[in-house]
Amino acid sequence: MRGLEDQEDSSDRCAKRPAEVANGSSGAPGQPLTLLDRLRLCQCAWAPWGPWDRDQAFAALWGRPPGSFLVLSDTSAQPQSLCLSVGGNGELVRDFPIKHTGAVFHLPQSHLGFADLVQLVAFYSLSRDVLPVCLFLPPCVFGLSEQPGPDQSQLGPKVWPCPSPNQKLDHVTSRSTGITMCSIQVTSANGALCIVNPLYLHEHGDDWLALRPQSTPVRASQTANQKRERRLSTTRPWRGAGLHKMRGLSLDHEPHDTPPVGSESPSTPPEGVVLRRASQPIGCDSLKRRGEGPPPGDSTPTPQSPHRVSWIEDGVWLSPPSLLPAPCMELDSLSISSLEEEPESAVSPSHLHAPRLPLVLADKVKNRLSAVGQALGGLLSPQKRLANRVQELSERRGGSFAEALRGFVENTLRGGADTHPSSTDMLQDVRNALTSLKEALFDSTEIHSLIDSLGDVSDSELDSMVEVSLHKVALKPVCSHLYVCLHEFRSHDGTLQQLQDSLQSLSGRDPLGLGGTGGAGVPDTATLEKIQQRWASMHQAYSPRKKVYILLKVCKSIYHSMSANASPGAAFGADDFLPCLTWVLLRSDLSTLQLDTDYMMELLDPTQLQGEGGYYLTSLYASLFYVSSFRPRLATRQLSAEAQHSLSQWHRRRTLHCNQSRRCKARRTIRRRAQERGLGSWERKWPPGQEVVKKRMSQQCRTLRAEAFLQQQKCVRMRGGRWRKRGPWGRRDRSLGTEGQACPKAERGSHKALGTASEAPDSQVRVQACQLLGHHRDQQGLELSSNPLTGSQSGVADCVHQSEERP
Amino acid sequence: MASRGGSARPNGSLPQTKICQFKLVLLGDMAVGKSSLVLRFVKGQFDEFQETTIGAAFLAQSVCLDDTTVKFEIWDTAGQERYHSLAPMYYRGAQAAIVVFDITKPETFERAKAWVKELQRQASPNIVIALAGNKADLADKRMVEYEEAQTYAEDTGLLFMETSAKTAMNVNELFLAIAKKMPKTDTQNPTHAARHRGVNLQDPDAQSTRGCCGN
Repeated sequence: MRGLEDQEDSSDRCAKRPAEVANGSSGAPGQPLTLLDRLRLCQCAWAPWGPWDRDQAFAALWGRPPGSFLVLSDTSAQPQSLCLSVGGNGELVRDFPIKHTGAVFHLPQSHLGFADLVQLVAFYSLSRDVLPVCLFLPPCVFGLSEQPGPDQSQLGPKVWPCPSPNQKLDHVTSRSTGITMCSIQVTSANGALCIVNPLYLHEHGDDWLALRPQSTPVRASQTANQKRERRLSTTRPWRGAGLHKMRGLSLDHEPHDTPPVGSESPSTPPEGVVLRRASQPIGCDSLKRRGEGPPPGDSTPTPQSPHRVSWIEDGVWLSPPSLLPAPCMELDSLSISSLEEEPESAVSPSHLHAPRLPLVLADKVKNRLSAVGQALGGLLSPQKRLANRVQELSERRGGSFAEALRGFVENTLRGGADTHPSSTDMLQDVRNALTSLKEALFDSTEIHSLIDSLGDVSDSELDSMVEVSLHKVALKPVCSHLYVCLHEFRSHDGTLQQLQDSLQSLSGRDPLGLGGTGGAGVPDTATLEKIQQRWASMHQAYSPRKKVYILLKVCKSIYHSMSANASPGAAFGADDFLPCLTWVLLRSDLSTLQLDTDYMMELLDPTQLQGEGGYYLTSLYASLFYVSSFRPRLATRQLSAEAQHSLSQWHRRRTLHCNQSRRCKARRTIRRRAQERGLGSWERKWPPGQEVVKKRMSQQCRTLRAEAFLQQQKCVRMRGGRWRKRGPWGRRDRSLGTEGQACPKAERGSHKALGTASEAPDSQVRVQACQLLGHHRDQQGLELSSNPLTGSQSGVADCVHQSEERP
Repeated sequence: MASRGGSARPNGSLPQTKICQFKLVLLGDMAVGKSSLVLRFVKGQFDEFQETTIGAAFLAQSVCLDDTTVKFEIWDTAGQERYHSLAPMYYRGAQAAIVVFDITKPETFERAKAWVKELQRQASPNIVIALAGNKADLADKRMVEYEEAQTYAEDTGLLFMETSAKTAMNVNELFLAIAKKMPKTDTQNPTHAARHRGVNLQDPDAQSTRGCCGN
């Protein structure tokens, strides 16, 4: 672990740096000028008044070194835009509007807000953030003294963007410094660069980043640290406090982009990159114009504030708001049945709001740090460890899991509306693949040893942990594609249109009109807005578990609204809840919800379909179904035959899945066998235009799967006696060879199904198994007889069910 | 904080109790007191057994029998006629059902009979169905005679009790009776369950599975 020691050293060095530099400068007499002061002194030069317009500015900046800039103000003295010479080819000068929202100045694309223009310019002279290049400050700025002198009066807008070839910011050289980047770089003004370990900030706070110059910086920073430590200890649980040795790892998580920051630009640091605190005195100071210089003192550009902070672009954190992913959107573990109250901000994704300003540098630091902290804390959490290991496995070249995963992703991305008869089939294939991948993981020795090291974890917890890890590597890449396909399917089958039609006839109704009892309230506008945000974040999530979790939160809000105006103690059951849920749905994006519901229903881990999540998912499905099948003046007492069929199909699939055990390798074997026999590809090879036939065939495929499951149940039973609490996969026959050989003829399989049934005491089972066999023959001969599909299918399911429930 | 071991304590039985989990669906006309009945059951029990849920449409509650903890996941359904068609989504896979009617409203009894018929036709074959004549405290407004319902229940093989969510009459008894009637296979512990199932079928299966995997 040499790297760790190194990192510790470097972090120690970093930790010492502020004190050293601060000591070094404390000897300087008086208050030297800071960059902010200097910029303020010459504000007239870079932010000329009145007569300058855009064309003039462009002309003045033409041909100047990249980074040369002028800030143009309109007549009302409000800053308007930042004209910037960007160099390169094409447009040489561009202007960027500067927005003034509330007390904050910011560039529209950036999250960073500043108390005044000076701070904005100072910051962008150090870090380009959303700009193509850093702002370039002419060297004469650094020669400014506090006393208004001739040099200042000489500085004017025309002089400001002076060409100074020797001082040009050379982006190429600054790129090639070969420095490993971390999220925060601290550069002392003499050009030396050091890297602050984010953990140092995490532990000791980041107040000092924003500290104003102090005459006694050391003491000040100490008190600030003490304060910060207190705050940290109460507001942010730091699980990795004992992990000093692991500090270095944080750097590995950082992107290795090199910064376009002029890391050696000879500027004094802006001590006031205090972004949120517009109300602080710093904001008032900044309104001073030149001529109100600070008290006389040393005129040399001695750094006062020891560090400057520059943000390294990494394409994620500084991207426009709409692209900014909320960190850690996916929860690690979901407690479905007991929802804790969480801060609302954790739920509403930031991208839904209009760009929130002022967004704060400090907040970003915290976000970053908490992300790092979570990565480190993850070393302790079993879920994270497992997820990391799965991630590793998924990236390993040539690894069997990685290959299988890659195959799955490619296959899924290739598939679509033309390769599957229905959305259900498509999602069902994905679910089956997920299950197979999960079993592959359980078979992997690495996962096995990791699981052994986790200590006492119940099987169901393990299963759900692996499932969650798998979502990330398998579902995330295909999620958006699946949605595209789902949309296509649902558009074709008319569901989306039906939803819209019903919406028109139902939308005016209150919950009473939807059958409610009237005692319950409905969500007010604010709650409804919150619910919309949650729906949106539910749509964003790729993990079906996370989606269900958000659904539960929505349902909780609905309950809350229902009982808000009700008599105390009143509890509302489904009689009230379902109408209210329907009422909410009618005010939501029904189409998206329909797709989300499909996604959840089919992809959710079968074990999650029970319990509270299952109940409310069922309610959502039911409610959507009610809306889409609503026909005014038409009795809807009976479900349409089609709907009944689809429902029972769904239930059967889910029941089958529920009863399956992940430990049974036979499932995979059988699935593959079916595919090898070409059953899986029937659907795809069927000539177009014969929809009915195609549909039937695919149903038969499913029947065969059910039959396969029947056999597999026997395997489960036989194997049951050998099960252990944990780790049976280790003891199981794990050679894949048996799988390849285990391809008995389908006919034999169905004979066996019959065999099982005839040994069962229940004669009904036997009859159904006979049906199954008959049906199977049909299928083998590719005959499309008049065999009632639904009948034989339910026969299979019932058969499964009964043989399963036999004590 | 009810752990498995803990849940056994109030009955003083051994910590190693079997845990069975069942899905129970509530059916019945609107406003017959389905939710009240269940809430009375859930709230009346030890807190330790109660799992917090976000609302009253889904509740979970455990009942202790001698050596078994029976955990009910209770799915409420909307009783309105217009939502009737959605009921199959809820009762599919349920191992138990309580069909509730209001003894002061004969039409709810008729509706209950229709539910029973539907359940027996469409739900899981082994579903345990209980019929509850609720609002027994309103005896002076009674419109459905006890004997009538009792006879019907006997004929159709249902558990039957007259209950009152208001006075808690027969509420716990009803759930206890259902719990006793449930097949006691440990569903929480797959190992256990598998072993249970495995016993019956071991012999016939041993051979065929060898054939299946060894070919």
